[in-house]
Amino acid sequence: MRVNAETKQATRQRILDTARKLFASKGFENTSTRDLASAAGIGAGTLFNYFPTKEAIAMTLVADVLTEAHEEFHKSAQRAESLEEDLFGYLACQLRHLKPHRAYLEPVLETALSPVASSAAAPEGESIRVMHLDAIEQLLRKHGHRQSPSFVLLHLYWTLYTGVLAFWSRDRSRHQEDTLAVLDQALKMFVRALPAPSAPSQPKAGGVS
Amino acid sequence: MTTNLADLLAALPAEEEAPEGLLDTPQFQALFAELAQRRMPVAPLQRLGVLGGLQAQISLAYLAHWLRSWFHDARANQRDLLETHLRVALKLLRGMGYLRGAVMKVGQMLGNLPEIVPDQLVEVLEKLHFEAPPMHFSLLREFVRNELGADPEEIFASFETRPFAAASLGQVHRARLKSGETVAVKIQYPSIVTTIRSDFRNLRALMAPMRLSKDWEDLKESLADLQRTLEQETDYEQEADTLNKARRLFREDDRIVLPRVYESLSSMRVLTMEYLEGVHIHDFLAKNPSQQERDHFGTQILRAYSRMYYAGRMNYADMHPGNFLFQDDGRLGVLDFGCVRPFNDEEWAMLRSGPQAMYGDRQDLLRFTKRMCNLPEDYPDDSDHVRVMERLSLWTFQPMRQGGPFDFGNPEHLREGANIYREMVRKRYTRGQPLCVLIARMHFGSRALLYRLRARVNSRAIEREEVPVTGWPSSTTED
Repeated sequence: MRVNAETKQATRQRILDTARKLFASKGFENTSTRDLASAAGIGAGTLFNYFPTKEAIAMTLVADVLTEAHEEFHKSAQRAESLEEDLFGYLACQLRHLKPHRAYLEPVLETALSPVASSAAAPEGESIRVMHLDAIEQLLRKHGHRQSPSFVLLHLYWTLYTGVLAFWSRDRSRHQEDTLAVLDQALKMFVRALPAPSAPSQPKAGGVS
Repeated sequence: MTTNLADLLAALPAEEEAPEGLLDTPQFQALFAELAQRRMPVAPLQRLGVLGGLQAQISLAYLAHWLRSWFHDARANQRDLLETHLRVALKLLRGMGYLRGAVMKVGQMLGNLPEIVPDQLVEVLEKLHFEAPPMHFSLLREFVRNELGADPEEIFASFETRPFAAASLGQVHRARLKSGETVAVKIQYPSIVTTIRSDFRNLRALMAPMRLSKDWEDLKESLADLQRTLEQETDYEQEADTLNKARRLFREDDRIVLPRVYESLSSMRVLTMEYLEGVHIHDFLAKNPSQQERDHFGTQILRAYSRMYYAGRMNYADMHPGNFLFQDDGRLGVLDFGCVRPFNDEEWAMLRSGPQAMYGDRQDLLRFTKRMCNLPEDYPDDSDHVRVMERLSLWTFQPMRQGGPFDFGNPEHLREGANIYREMVRKRYTRGQPLCVLIARMHFGSRALLYRLRARVNSRAIEREEVPVTGWPSSTTED
């Protein structure tokens, strides 16, 4: 029997929905691919036609919410007074979307997002990275940094970013408030490393209503 | 404004009776020179928007003084040990720079001692109370969302993105409720609690080599006490609770106002309160108030404290100027209840004989003084310990004993208190006596404030009105 594209898409989505539920109820570590296949009503072999590993499933879930966060940030366009504040807004929006997935962020970081992850092994990770760094470059341009940042700066940024995610995935403070401080300071560090902007951004005072 | 550390050190309380010139030995001179030249880790603090360079330098100078006083009583044969301690202390000092809460506390403490710290420094230090740089709004929004479940823009009708005041652990924003009231929203910097804990962990680790010294237990206790105080201040729910209790102690005709708390818009890290109008002491004095106005506000400050003390069984220990608002219609606003500490039963029982000691004979005074100092009743009256502490009691009670309007603007009175306080700290008569220190600090703080006001206040009349609610035995002295 030939499986058409629509059925394939539906099965893929079913696997993802099942994974989201099982990861949340049993935890990432305690969920096997066999559990996933059986809960999704497919054979274990079929599951591997869609996702090579459990980590790849987690990465796909994470990639989906990061794309949602990316779109929401660009739609909402909060007024920010500085580059740091804009960067903070972008990343805080991500953390908010990632919150339900915090428990299995660590394996995703290890296999797909960390600076040592191989892009070939995790194509979703690579596309997330490209989308993210593109957004950062746009924010830099908005605040007067006309030249594209060097690969060194981008690497520095990515290291800080994944470091913040790693910290957050294990942050036990109240409402993960420590992560807010780490994020704030990591971004200040990154902004200080940038060359001076070609046109200074104009800070605005005032209230919001 | 530029300054250098040597000037600042010179402005700090003078060293007295340095033993046997030990501190003048070349090794110590070298170590102190190193200490003086060592730069406070200002850059990270500035980057965190915490402190300006000058404030950090002042705190450093104060800490240098504090450290030096540790080594004051040393004998020459302890030199090696002391040098080790000093090296540890230097490391410790570097660590302290990151302890925002403690650094600000030191600043506030100095800001309260106008007779000891020159005027221009007091002005700079006052800015520590009110002008810490803000968290940007994206961070604040995220923090408020976590704490209150929604963005400030959703919760409030309007919310000023720039803070109008710095609290010791956070910042305060003005906002308007949907129902129309103007409120002050105090928001804590994220991760302050973790920072305090980790700083204290580091401090203890760095101080481990000192554990064999005779002061170790006291030092450990002082640190634990400081940590508890700082951690207590991070709990805004507790602060709201204290504020509500204190607020109930005042009636409309007292003309002392404490802000109302909006519990549904508050959490452990966010405190939404009624916004109180009024100016701080600096602006009040700038208007050249009449003696009558000065006396009035001085009376209100002492009344507020006494009411909380006697009727509320709580010690309003944080007498720094930023906590009082002078309103045009003569009402006094009292802010910030993070430091307010209730007296426990044991302490309350000890304080019971205070009014008797205030107006009684020397035996009454000595009995009370020894009890407060945890000394046995038969401890010799002519011992130095008892004499110094008796002087403290006499100084504390002087305005009440004298009766009638007491001139708190007399610099001699404040200087005398400072000398006694310094002597008791230097001779370590404060050790293991948290209540005694707390009360002395409060009296000293309030008198420093009244000195700046140049106020004349009838302290006895206030005591007479406020004490009866306790049911304590009163004195026989009549006005």
